[in-house]
Amino acid sequence: MSYVAIKGGGRAIAAAAAAAEYLRTAEGLLNTVAEPLAIDAILHQLRHLVDRVIAEGGVYHPQFAALAIKQSLGDTLEAAFVLRAWRSTRPRLAATPALDSSRMRLIRRISSAFKEIPGGQMLGPTPDYALRLLRLELMDESPEAFRAIARNWLQNYPEAQLPDTFPKVLDALRRESLLPPISPPHGATPFDITREPLVFPVPRSAVLATLARAETGSLLAIAYSNMRGYGDVHPTVAELRVGYLPVLLPHPVTGELTEVGEALITECEVVAMYEADNTSDKPTFTVGYGACFGHNEVKAISMAILDRALRKGMQNGPSNPSEDPEFVLLHVDGVDSMGFAAHYKMPHYVTFQSDMDRLRATQRKSEEPV
Amino acid sequence: MDVERKDWVRALTAHPVSRLNATADQLAAVCTVRLTRLPQAGLGLLSLIDGALHESYYLGEFPLSTCSVELAFPDGRQAEGGAQVMADDAELARSLAIFDAILAARLPGWEQVAELVTSGALQRGAENGRRRAMLAATRVDFALLSDADEDTDEY
Repeated sequence: MSYVAIKGGGRAIAAAAAAAEYLRTAEGLLNTVAEPLAIDAILHQLRHLVDRVIAEGGVYHPQFAALAIKQSLGDTLEAAFVLRAWRSTRPRLAATPALDSSRMRLIRRISSAFKEIPGGQMLGPTPDYALRLLRLELMDESPEAFRAIARNWLQNYPEAQLPDTFPKVLDALRRESLLPPISPPHGATPFDITREPLVFPVPRSAVLATLARAETGSLLAIAYSNMRGYGDVHPTVAELRVGYLPVLLPHPVTGELTEVGEALITECEVVAMYEADNTSDKPTFTVGYGACFGHNEVKAISMAILDRALRKGMQNGPSNPSEDPEFVLLHVDGVDSMGFAAHYKMPHYVTFQSDMDRLRATQRKSEEPV
Repeated sequence: MDVERKDWVRALTAHPVSRLNATADQLAAVCTVRLTRLPQAGLGLLSLIDGALHESYYLGEFPLSTCSVELAFPDGRQAEGGAQVMADDAELARSLAIFDAILAARLPGWEQVAELVTSGALQRGAENGRRRAMLAATRVDFALLSDADEDTDEY
């Protein structure tokens, strides 16, 4: 592969950017009270879009994710790219100790494994049971009606006597020896995918980190291939939880762990069918784990399925693409893959000229009498 | 005030940044602020224990600002303070570090900081209440169809 250096086009490139800005603001030509999208409006009213970008950008910065969405006109791949570009300019100041997600302040918690779980199931804010019909009344929603909805909800919300944290469903299964035992901590530092390239085989910490910032659609597609038949993971969601994880760092003076903020995350733990093996160990269910920044349940479930599939592939050799770490991990990153696809738009004049020359030579050769 | 030092940052950051910076500047005007760790904005790396096999990995990064200070008052009293906050705002970290020093050592102005912590903690408590309400309002008790009366709706 070779590229060609070009020059010129500066004015056209600047004009192209201006044309995109024209389209972003063209609403103002017809509507004299048109207003730019406020960052707060994006944060609140397009929250799942923001969540997707913070997860794929790999940085929990909702405000800048909203800004990236605004400047990229809603293109999630571009927005994640912009967010990663921003992060690349920032120094790394600290790393948290390994945080325990059971401390999350939950807004949603469900299980498809058990009807009753310790602490109870709570649907939280979800469209899971809504009809997928257009709500035409939102086409012309008045500001007054819009503001009244949250206000009314707050007036009627129940005073809840609930604990701050809830036990995990997997812990109950583990106590019954139905899950694989937990290995003692090995003390190894987790793999940092922002600093080290993936050289296979990679540790599980690299797998989880790569999947956590993967492009949602890519992750879903490969997980779906496994669910549909190119694999054998038919999981049960032991627990899916959405909530705010307190982010803890040592206090600069006392050293005591201090809450510096919180991050909304989605976490999914799945249980898959046990496998008989030739060891004398007691058979147990297999498990899979997924988590990502923001509220993104499909991504967390897909990640959990792929975690389970990839562990099987790493142990026994892959029997389908979704069990192959190289195939999965090198193709799920949105910024990587969109960059490769987009680069085909760049000038390839020399390489294509070469292709044409070779084709013509081959055609001439084929026309020569034998 | 019964908010522990480890929870001061969470409580204080419930307030607008402009108010925090203005209050810190006002309190710092009567003492000497020596920066023992320069205010800096950057990133933190979030390490999480996976819930399935209890192995740690990096979920991603977050904006982080840090600062440490030593305050010296004209009457000779001194105090050390520091703060790390999940924000891309070095000035905010400096303000929080000043508050930390003043409140920890009960230096002049500590009542003002304590009031900010207390009212911020109340705001955080209300926020937690709204989240719990979402849980409580949507608590579900699914019944198997075979176990349920035909004409009984469940909650």
